[in-house]
Amino acid sequence: MKLIKKQIPLAIVLVFGTLTLLTYFVPHKRSVNFLETMNKWENIVAAFAFFLGLINLFYSHYTKISRKADGWGYSIFVYIGFLAIAIPAYVSHGKNMDGSVLTWMGWAFKYIYNPLSATMFAVLAFYIVSTAYKSFRIRSLQAFVLFAAAMFLILGNVPLGQMIWDKLFGWTSYAISDIVDWIMHVPAIAGKRGIMIGIAIGVVVTALKIIFGIERQYLGKD
Amino acid sequence: MLKEKLNALLRIDRRWIFLGLTVVLFGAIMRPLGLINKEISKDTRNAYDFMEKLPAGSFVILSLDYDPSTAPELNPQAVAVARHAFRKNLRVGVVTYAAGATGLIEQLFAVVPAEFKKEYGRDYIIFPYQPSAVAALTQMASDLYGIYDKDKDGKDAKSMPVMLGVKNYKNISLVVCIAGTQMPTYWVQYAGDKYGVPVMAGVTAISQPGYGPYLQKKQLKGLLGGMKGAAEYEHLIDTPGKGTSGIDALSLAHVMVVGLIIVSNIAMVILKYL
Amino acid sequence: MIKNKSGLSLVLSFLAVTTVFAATSPRPSAQLPPVTRLTAADMPYDVGGTALLKWDVRPEDTPDVLYQIYVSSMESGGWIKADEFPADTRTGDGIELPFWAWNASVREHVVKVELNNFYGEAQTTGPVFRFKVTSVKDKKSYDSQVVSAGTVSNWFRLDRLNNLVMAILVFIVFFWAVSHAKRKGLFIRRIAGLDAIDEAIGRATEMGKPIYYLPGIGNMTMVSTIASTFILGEVSKKVAQYDSTIKVPHKDPVVMTVAKEVVKQAFLEAGRPDSYREDINQFVSYDQFSYAASVDGMISREKPAAIFYMGWFMAESLLLAEVGSTTGAIQIAGTDEEAQLPFFFTACDYTLIGEELYAAGAYLSKDPMLMSALKTQDFGKLVVMVSVALGGILASLGGLMHWDPFTRIIADLFKAY
Repeated sequence: MKLIKKQIPLAIVLVFGTLTLLTYFVPHKRSVNFLETMNKWENIVAAFAFFLGLINLFYSHYTKISRKADGWGYSIFVYIGFLAIAIPAYVSHGKNMDGSVLTWMGWAFKYIYNPLSATMFAVLAFYIVSTAYKSFRIRSLQAFVLFAAAMFLILGNVPLGQMIWDKLFGWTSYAISDIVDWIMHVPAIAGKRGIMIGIAIGVVVTALKIIFGIERQYLGKD
Repeated sequence: MLKEKLNALLRIDRRWIFLGLTVVLFGAIMRPLGLINKEISKDTRNAYDFMEKLPAGSFVILSLDYDPSTAPELNPQAVAVARHAFRKNLRVGVVTYAAGATGLIEQLFAVVPAEFKKEYGRDYIIFPYQPSAVAALTQMASDLYGIYDKDKDGKDAKSMPVMLGVKNYKNISLVVCIAGTQMPTYWVQYAGDKYGVPVMAGVTAISQPGYGPYLQKKQLKGLLGGMKGAAEYEHLIDTPGKGTSGIDALSLAHVMVVGLIIVSNIAMVILKYL
Repeated sequence: MIKNKSGLSLVLSFLAVTTVFAATSPRPSAQLPPVTRLTAADMPYDVGGTALLKWDVRPEDTPDVLYQIYVSSMESGGWIKADEFPADTRTGDGIELPFWAWNASVREHVVKVELNNFYGEAQTTGPVFRFKVTSVKDKKSYDSQVVSAGTVSNWFRLDRLNNLVMAILVFIVFFWAVSHAKRKGLFIRRIAGLDAIDEAIGRATEMGKPIYYLPGIGNMTMVSTIASTFILGEVSKKVAQYDSTIKVPHKDPVVMTVAKEVVKQAFLEAGRPDSYREDINQFVSYDQFSYAASVDGMISREKPAAIFYMGWFMAESLLLAEVGSTTGAIQIAGTDEEAQLPFFFTACDYTLIGEELYAAGAYLSKDPMLMSALKTQDFGKLVVMVSVALGGILASLGGLMHWDPFTRIIADLFKAY
């Protein structure tokens, strides 16, 4: 059992991890082919796993409904939602438009999926506004810097803000867009690069830990 | 008494803020103020200039990788860029690596090309959705038809007039990636940096700051950020669209945020020092 | 007589000068000598299919002269025009390769001919092709001799030697650190977000409410998702020990499959395999916002006592964390997607930044081998800091003093090809 659950997976990780690393230094056609094959395998495995996900989804909601667990009524919508898109897709042979006419699937996409999905993203705007209200309070010098940068960016981003700036601070001869450009291209990028470098190093070390089997919790421990 | 009221104001139920924002946005959409975006950002201007300088007949890839959730911000960008490309008589190849984008692409290209009397197969082509972006981008370096041998309807792509002389990145003059995902980064890494294809992008306002390093190093030739980027581009091509009409709502919502932040800070200062 | 002599010499000198002048100054209609010393070879360090043509830069290489490159796969005829460019362009310094792999000479023309553009990809590596360079001036063309070469698939990218050296160095430090760890423990600084995990789980147990663990929307190839599964293992073990409940909603089915194994194993290790249920891990939706909406619904209904956001998050970060904060749950987040960090900072009690997320597995398990690997991370940072400082100073100095070759060496050393 240990051989199947531990040693073989670790050997696969070691061999394929090392080979993939080597492809960076080996430009040979065989190395390119190897990489392409790996990409294809990843796609195939992901496609099968998607089925697994679907089965799991249906099964868990079926259990909820059959047990009449809390909020089981919502689970019915999983099936309704699935059928509302899957049936039109089947009827329309997976096409959204037939010439310039919307197919059933196109209709379902445009008038069901489209507004639902856009609504969720739009909710973000409401959360951002309420979060801004709660978090931009000047309690320290750092908070003041954050506050000032936010003010410049918010005002500089829209015409009304630009008009307000021109009215109040036009005499300074600084255009708000110049200040926004400076904030975005100097301190913001400097900070971002620092975090990016730290993350990149972390990725390298984590990859080594995985390739050499030092970190193997993702397989379940020994 | 005042202190209690201020404390209550600082701890206001966020649903009141939601309501306020709804009123502001609804008002701006129903009764537009007609604000004009005077200052065009450098990144949008660069994007416009780059496309403007392309000779007619150049082949441009439009990688439209946004789904309906980000469409209100990104679709106006895609419409503006497509209009500019067609007006410049550029050849357009549309690709996508977001499954949710296929419907939006079909809807967009059912309308925009007709405005310029452009014909499918001669002036533009839509390729099918590909799930693995990295594999597709790598393949296009040597032979585009290795992955896109057929168009979205299963017709032979290579024989279409729009594809004449187009084989790999060498024959592609520009890639415009409009995405709510990480696709612009992939285009920069796998096409721009490796094969020297010029890449520019259109992204949501929320992810715009993340692309600063690529702009600084000119790995991105230009960038449209959110609805403002769309409005700026529409202004540059002199064709107002959804971006321009959204700028009022955007302006008022931004000013509301500034107002709220200032109010909360004044309340806090009064509570602390008075 | 003298007068006559000087008159003769004047005539002779005039003749001589005109002859010399005629010989040295090219007239517009003069013939352009064809390119000589043309060589063709395989382009080094590539997959194949690209040939490299070289010939000397000549005094005649003015902007009004054009060079045309022709290629043929046949023994005679079959010429295809592969390239055309003004004669004062395309020298050795135009090839993007570092100094240790390439002699960037401005005294010779160097042109890459990508044969894939003209012939089927399968036929370009191996067979011999013929090349010629034609100089064109005033609509007249002059052919060079024909040279031939084949291309091969190379086995090593010498241009990436700097990266290889760096990789080997990192390997050495990594193995040194790991072997060192076996003998002696290592200090690791406190990470408040990870220390709070115990408190969060304890609180959930006391309140009798569930714990939510969100592994992000990334797939299993992302390091942040892998790091998230390490933390999930430790969290699940504690949950099992305290006999609390945990729920793990997923966006990616592959991640779900892995997470199932991790949680099952953690319950087994904690001695509570009976408490493990299959529905701890649940697939929700492959669509980002459907996932967010669904999880928001679950959080609002069940009001968990603790929520962990560990892994790769995009725009749904605030949607989830804001809803979580309204339920009064202790929230601990960790992501390497820096654009989302501000949202987590404002809505969560603790936030792990990028590399802290990667270090979490080591921190929580206290495994000396894992902790020692963090040393390599510190070494990497040290190298970057020294390189940035030193490289910046040297490159600026080179630029100020106009030491162009020196600046190029510095730039090459730190560049990825």
